[in-house]
Amino acid sequence: MLLNSLENTGARDRLERFSLAIERLGPIMAAVFLIPSMLGLAIVASAAGYSLGRGDQHSLLFEALRYLLLFIPIASIVGPLFLPAADRTNPVRLLLLPIPRRTLYAAQAATALGDVWTVIVLPIALFVPFGLALAGALDSAVVVLAGGAVFLAVVIGLSALATSVLHLIARDRRRGELLALLFILIIPAVSMLPGLLHGRHSRGAQRRGSATEEVHLPVWVAAAAERAFAVYPSELYVRSARAMPAREVQTAATRLGLLAIIAVAVHAAGMFVFGRILDSPGATGARRSVTARKAWGMTIPGLTPGASAVALAQLRLALRTPRGRSILLSPLVMMAVFAVVVLRRSGGFDLGPVSLNGGLGFASFTSFICLVATLPIVVNQFAVDKAGMTLALLSPLSDEEYLTGKEVGNALIAFPPALISLVAAIGIFRSGSPALWAAVPLALIATYLLISAPAAMLSALFPRLVDLNSIGRSSNAHGLAGLLGMLAFVVAGGSNLIIVLAATKWLERPGLVPILLLGWCAIAFFISRVLFAVARRIFASRRENLALLLSDK
Amino acid sequence: MHLELAVQTTGLTRDFGSFRAVDGIDLVVPAGSLYGFLGPNGAGKSTTIKCLTGLLRPTAGSMMILGTNPIADPVSVKRRIGVVPEDLALFDRLTAQETLTFVAQVHGIDRATAQHRASDLLNLMELKSAGTTLVTDFSHGMRKKLSLAAALLPAPKLLFLDEPFEGIDAVASRQIKDLLLSFVSHGGTIFLTSHILEIVERLSTHIGVIAGGRMVAQGPIADLRAGAGSGKSLEELFIGLVGGDARTPAALDWI
Repeated sequence: MLLNSLENTGARDRLERFSLAIERLGPIMAAVFLIPSMLGLAIVASAAGYSLGRGDQHSLLFEALRYLLLFIPIASIVGPLFLPAADRTNPVRLLLLPIPRRTLYAAQAATALGDVWTVIVLPIALFVPFGLALAGALDSAVVVLAGGAVFLAVVIGLSALATSVLHLIARDRRRGELLALLFILIIPAVSMLPGLLHGRHSRGAQRRGSATEEVHLPVWVAAAAERAFAVYPSELYVRSARAMPAREVQTAATRLGLLAIIAVAVHAAGMFVFGRILDSPGATGARRSVTARKAWGMTIPGLTPGASAVALAQLRLALRTPRGRSILLSPLVMMAVFAVVVLRRSGGFDLGPVSLNGGLGFASFTSFICLVATLPIVVNQFAVDKAGMTLALLSPLSDEEYLTGKEVGNALIAFPPALISLVAAIGIFRSGSPALWAAVPLALIATYLLISAPAAMLSALFPRLVDLNSIGRSSNAHGLAGLLGMLAFVVAGGSNLIIVLAATKWLERPGLVPILLLGWCAIAFFISRVLFAVARRIFASRRENLALLLSDK
Repeated sequence: MHLELAVQTTGLTRDFGSFRAVDGIDLVVPAGSLYGFLGPNGAGKSTTIKCLTGLLRPTAGSMMILGTNPIADPVSVKRRIGVVPEDLALFDRLTAQETLTFVAQVHGIDRATAQHRASDLLNLMELKSAGTTLVTDFSHGMRKKLSLAAALLPAPKLLFLDEPFEGIDAVASRQIKDLLLSFVSHGGTIFLTSHILEIVERLSTHIGVIAGGRMVAQGPIADLRAGAGSGKSLEELFIGLVGGDARTPAALDWI
């Protein structure tokens, strides 16, 4: 009955409206949370300014604001990288307007006022002086207000400069895609390392029973870092704000002067780069060729030629887009990071509730991550093709062929990195029961079988046109599809965990694990075929919506 | 005399919510004809093509494509038609050769035949040197030519072309016109939409004019022109049919 209602045009329209409403919920929720956050920040900033004005230079509240401000210049540089291309200023359009270049630059820089990191600065810049004024330090309030304005100018300048530099780099499509891929791969890896390595030190310290274990940097590195930190924009603002109420006028003036010089320098650089974009705003980039030999005649055994063509097109999409490549490569980068950490600490480590003790835990975790990483493509498997989807829908493919092709194509994206992780784990750790090692690929197969049909259903119900060349939100699947897809992964993966625990902990017969999982694979296959029939009906009822996605009717 | 029809619709209607994009049109496209489907922007041309090619289901009415009901047996119909839709329907991240291979495989064409036909088509469309280039790096004109090549590769009996000459240079346009005439002379049927009335006038044997989702005229081009009065061009005939005369703007004396 539910399926029949999907075939009704009215129900389809309601579903689409619901789908759009879910998509719009994110920004609305962000706005809802942002307003009280900003009000709270204004109160904290007022209190911090009041403390400063009363002579408490090391007020805890002001220290908290200092740490918050530390991230603002970094966010203003990194942030533009994650914005969808469509959200960035289009200089070609601006060039058509009879507006001077300086005004164009000012307009482009002003768009940074809408960025979250800039919005965070505003209550601090306004309400710290307000607190100072309340405490009776009016002259300090005026200087700190000026400091806040200059700091805001620096943040806006950094954002405008980063946006322009990104535009210059990304207008060469290949260079832009490479940059996107590097960011996807490097940022998560780098962001995880300090935490993991810190965990190692504190655990090591605990094991040895010592109070702390300090890491000493070379003296010259520490000195250089301190000098650089002293001229870091947020620190200049903080130090000038602290100096004024303490009547250290010269220190405050010097810091403020330095901050103003940085602001001028950043905006000068921003205008220069923006000028370069206006001089030649078009996209460039050599055409990319693929070896001709690979193009002809490859057919996946066991599939019809049509299903095989769909599967190969899906794999090629992943291999040839930054987001697709990141799906293939980022789990391997993560695996390398974890491998280093696991090897450097004996006895493994805990990652939240997951304990990575030895090779088996490591292999299970990383290969499961390889499957989960495919989520943006798997739960949006039709719409990721964009106009290619229309070609597929116009082709004489039965729904079964098309869905089978997609299912196999997604498996071709998910399994190679998972198997590489598994083989690498075996090579690195070599210990553990062979039966349990054999269980890992069986668990992966069972998981994939269980999630493939639900993923096809979610892709048909909540399609979203995405740009897989992007590294930000615009390459993500529909929010609801992503959430439900993740839930499906967890349920499917969890079922394997229950079987493993049943065999090893309750029955205490690890040798049974692969046998039980083999049986579970057979059951999962049966379940997947039943679910696949449902997915086929949902897809059939949603063909029109998919076809209309591009024309946005 | 029994006239064999490539496309026949009766009361074809398509609604989008409360908006009626196509309003009960009766199409009669004889086999072996080049049927120019004309209409102003938003008249319902692309929606009609989407219904005929199986991308959309009609809200009401019936259709027969090459003697088969496309709703009852869509795969059989799709095996015998070629389509160049308005969004060109190409995978961005496949090369020209891979695109043609994809089309050949989904049509079940064997490898040797596919290679032979693809080579001919890439030569004809002057895309041979770009055969291994990703479609994402193609210009609009190259995409259009590749889309046409993809539509022709399975040797269809009926071609649906939505604005095939838009964004195409004069040389390529001439090649495509020759190709379409050759296709029709070999017994194929073409159903094309275009805003370039001179081209439609030169190529078409039949035309249909749609305005506001309704069919306002249909038939052999010679008959329609004769009915409208001697010496009238297709442009004048078209403007007369869609009510363009009444929409002449008041003089913009400030220009």
